[in-house]
Amino acid sequence: MSAGRRDSAWQVAPTGAGRPGLWDLFFTFVLLSLQSFGGGASTFMLINRTCLQRGWLDDQEFVRTWALAQVTPGINLLKLTILIGSRLRGWGGVAACVSGLMIPTALITALMTAGFALIRANPLVQAVMKGVMPATIGLSLAMALQMALPLFARARREGPARVSVSAGVLAAAAALMALGWISPVLVLLLSGGLTAALLALVPARPQPAPREQGGGQ
Amino acid sequence: MNWLLYFWLFLKASLFTTGGLGNLPLLHQDLIGLGWAREADFLTAIAVGQVSPGPNGLWSVSLGYLTYGWAGAALATLALSLPPLLVLLVAGFYARMQGSPRVQDFTRGLSLGVVGLTLPVTLGLALSTVTDWGGAAIAAGALGLALSKRVPVIVILVLAGLAGFLLYGG
Repeated sequence: MSAGRRDSAWQVAPTGAGRPGLWDLFFTFVLLSLQSFGGGASTFMLINRTCLQRGWLDDQEFVRTWALAQVTPGINLLKLTILIGSRLRGWGGVAACVSGLMIPTALITALMTAGFALIRANPLVQAVMKGVMPATIGLSLAMALQMALPLFARARREGPARVSVSAGVLAAAAALMALGWISPVLVLLLSGGLTAALLALVPARPQPAPREQGGGQ
Repeated sequence: MNWLLYFWLFLKASLFTTGGLGNLPLLHQDLIGLGWAREADFLTAIAVGQVSPGPNGLWSVSLGYLTYGWAGAALATLALSLPPLLVLLVAGFYARMQGSPRVQDFTRGLSLGVVGLTLPVTLGLALSTVTDWGGAAIAAGALGLALSKRVPVIVILVLAGLAGFLLYGG
């Protein structure tokens, strides 16, 4: 993974990989959506892995994009897909990625609805699903960890005070969400504001110059 | 059934909420109120949405199919796909503001917040789906395999299904 994490504009060709073709994007998302049984957690993980493996986004860009996808209306995974498509190929990329994600999954969802009466009664299907559902919990936790790690690695390079700020904001967001007093969007905006305010008070430790390049973990 | 109004109800529900079951209260109120859906349709649709591939929010495609056939599924899909495009406006705005350190710190806080949000949501899901030691072992196994980054997600899911079959299928 090369160090080109400076995106001066939103639509920018990914470093190293070149611009993927529209059909390539479409079929990548078709394939991905067909594998994503068990709901959002597996879809999310598949999108994440595809982005990293194809060099479309690095770790930090991915988390940033995912965060951005949370603050406007609609299905978050769809917004993530839209942002990725737009970044790689503009409007054509949006159309390719969104149709690739939505057409097969919507079709299968409708077909499964038609066959649901048959499926639901079958105890073997129930047993299999009873195994798949806890696995999606494991996938969600893995994703949370993978998103948190680069954020904390960066804070650690900047000094212990900034690690505390990061941990505090994360814990506060979790607590606010658990309490359910305010909407998730508001929790996110508060997290952003609080972080901006606190980091302004806690300057980063001066960076040792040569370490910067190797930081893409 | 007026298809335009039907489409608008789905669009509105998606426009004012974010993913998952967020659009459930609005759709429930509107469709039940008009007599266009029954309670049972909602229960079936939510169950299918949990199992089917793709985002969980696709449960309303299932609701569309149950209440209005293939046309309903297509309209629901379209209604889900349009509102998320608004995110491009925010992204454009963000791209222009990105140079400022304040904005960078703000988005860093957004990222931290996102991770924070995941934890209670996952915990809530865990409480309803992990009901015994077998389930806990499957969740832990999936976590380990996913963190290794070597095992494809579909393989993890197939293994989990197999474990479910062995544990609960007898």
